[in-house]
Amino acid sequence: MIILEDVSFAYDGIYTALRGVSLQIDSSERVAIMGTNGAGKTTLIKHMNGLLRPMSGRVFVDGKNARDLSVAELSRTVGLVWQNPDHQLFLDSVEKEIVFGLQNLGYCEEESQQRCKQTLAGLGLEGFAKRSPFALSGGERKRVALASVLATEPTVLALDEPTIGQDARQKENLASLLMDMNDQGCTVVVVTHDIEFVTEYFPRTIAMANGKIVADGKTSSVLSNIDVIEQCSLTLPQLTQAARALHQIVPTVSERLSLLTEIEDVIADVLGGQ
Amino acid sequence: MSFLEVFQYTRQQSPIHDLDPRSKLVLAIVLAATSLMFLAIVPLLIMFLCLLPLIVAAKSLRRWATSMKGLSFLLIFIIVFNTLFSTAPNPFSHSVALTIRLVCLMTSFSLFFLTVHPDQLSQALIQMRVRFEFAFAMSMAMRYVPTLGQEAYAIMDAQKARGVELDKGNLLKRIRNIVPIIVPLIVVSIRRALSIAESMESRGFGASEHRTYMERLRFQKRDWGVVILSILILILLVYIRLFVPLPDWALLELPF
Repeated sequence: MIILEDVSFAYDGIYTALRGVSLQIDSSERVAIMGTNGAGKTTLIKHMNGLLRPMSGRVFVDGKNARDLSVAELSRTVGLVWQNPDHQLFLDSVEKEIVFGLQNLGYCEEESQQRCKQTLAGLGLEGFAKRSPFALSGGERKRVALASVLATEPTVLALDEPTIGQDARQKENLASLLMDMNDQGCTVVVVTHDIEFVTEYFPRTIAMANGKIVADGKTSSVLSNIDVIEQCSLTLPQLTQAARALHQIVPTVSERLSLLTEIEDVIADVLGGQ
Repeated sequence: MSFLEVFQYTRQQSPIHDLDPRSKLVLAIVLAATSLMFLAIVPLLIMFLCLLPLIVAAKSLRRWATSMKGLSFLLIFIIVFNTLFSTAPNPFSHSVALTIRLVCLMTSFSLFFLTVHPDQLSQALIQMRVRFEFAFAMSMAMRYVPTLGQEAYAIMDAQKARGVELDKGNLLKRIRNIVPIIVPLIVVSIRRALSIAESMESRGFGASEHRTYMERLRFQKRDWGVVILSILILILLVYIRLFVPLPDWALLELPF
């Protein structure tokens, strides 16, 4: 469980990135953080593992004040997956790359190897164990970086823009992987602009603008709120757009439909009725 | 790495900023050469006292002071190390003089780099008949120093999040901890260099032999003034150095 209490932060003490952010993320939740560029999303998740410390306010991770824990200690609980995999890959094989993080966190050689194998298998990277991460494609490197965090089995997984550069199938694989982790009790937090990805897989959305939380709640209601959409410069999910279009033709149809099945039913109704 | 700031351009309105980069280059070289001509504390201190007003005139005293604070560790190290191992007759005086000389040298060049925008520098080089490709490479290198710094911080964050404890452990461990920072930094830089090269070529870099420039630098009266004054001072000092024995007070050494 992660709690932020009135957290504010400014880079170099001048460039304000967070203004009094409070939120609570319970264990086994799936939460998406959305917002404009520069809204403070990445700054927010960097507070979860202590990379940034609040200038005012407090952060609690699993009931402990994050102030008293080092980044390395917090990283056992909160795994952060970065936007740019190239910022962390530096060894000459995928396998070593994954074992490196595990050994930093104090796992023995044998356990590290075993976890490494499992994780690679889970991500469909079995064939890559001995390959150099630098020779892989962008999307593959991204998955290696993800694997290096997954292997440590954090209880909270925070991902920064995980869907960028992934094709539709990889995106689905990623989603099902995150769902599996979530089923096993892992909290999943994702920062993304991919609104389809959010509506499909994340029940809760936190919308940010200008370092503040402008909306926090059920994804369907946050993302159908025109004010929020406007402030966070989002475009409505295609399904919601379809619902709105239908509503204009047939006023009895609700504007707030967000599931494919709902839309299908409505269309079937409308067509059947005529 | 805060001491590098003293070599980074800052946008300001100041008489030094307004000078032509070429005249500033002459000035900086003369100042640096002067610092290299003497190795006694008093002349170097005088030199230092002449440099300070120039930094003030460039409105960069605060930045200069922060950088020097960042450098103080190295300066103390030079003093201690030289005092212990120097073979000069008066090692302490010698190492103090060396340190002042280093500060003077850095200040001289910082006067140039603090006040010359990378674009101006490359334009100056081009007008001094350096090939465009080289001038451009140089200004690109300067342009990317801050970007590289940001990248280094991002990489440090990424590695810390994997449990690398950068500020813990003995010296050997700390040195080994540099590897996870430096390798990604190099890889990222090379990747970026390649993509910049591709994007430049796709915008027609090097397509025509003769380039035209939006702005051309022009020497003004004050620039000629600076250049002539610098050269006169240099000649005077070379003359003093070679033919005039320095008085005793100028060769004063510290008593211990």
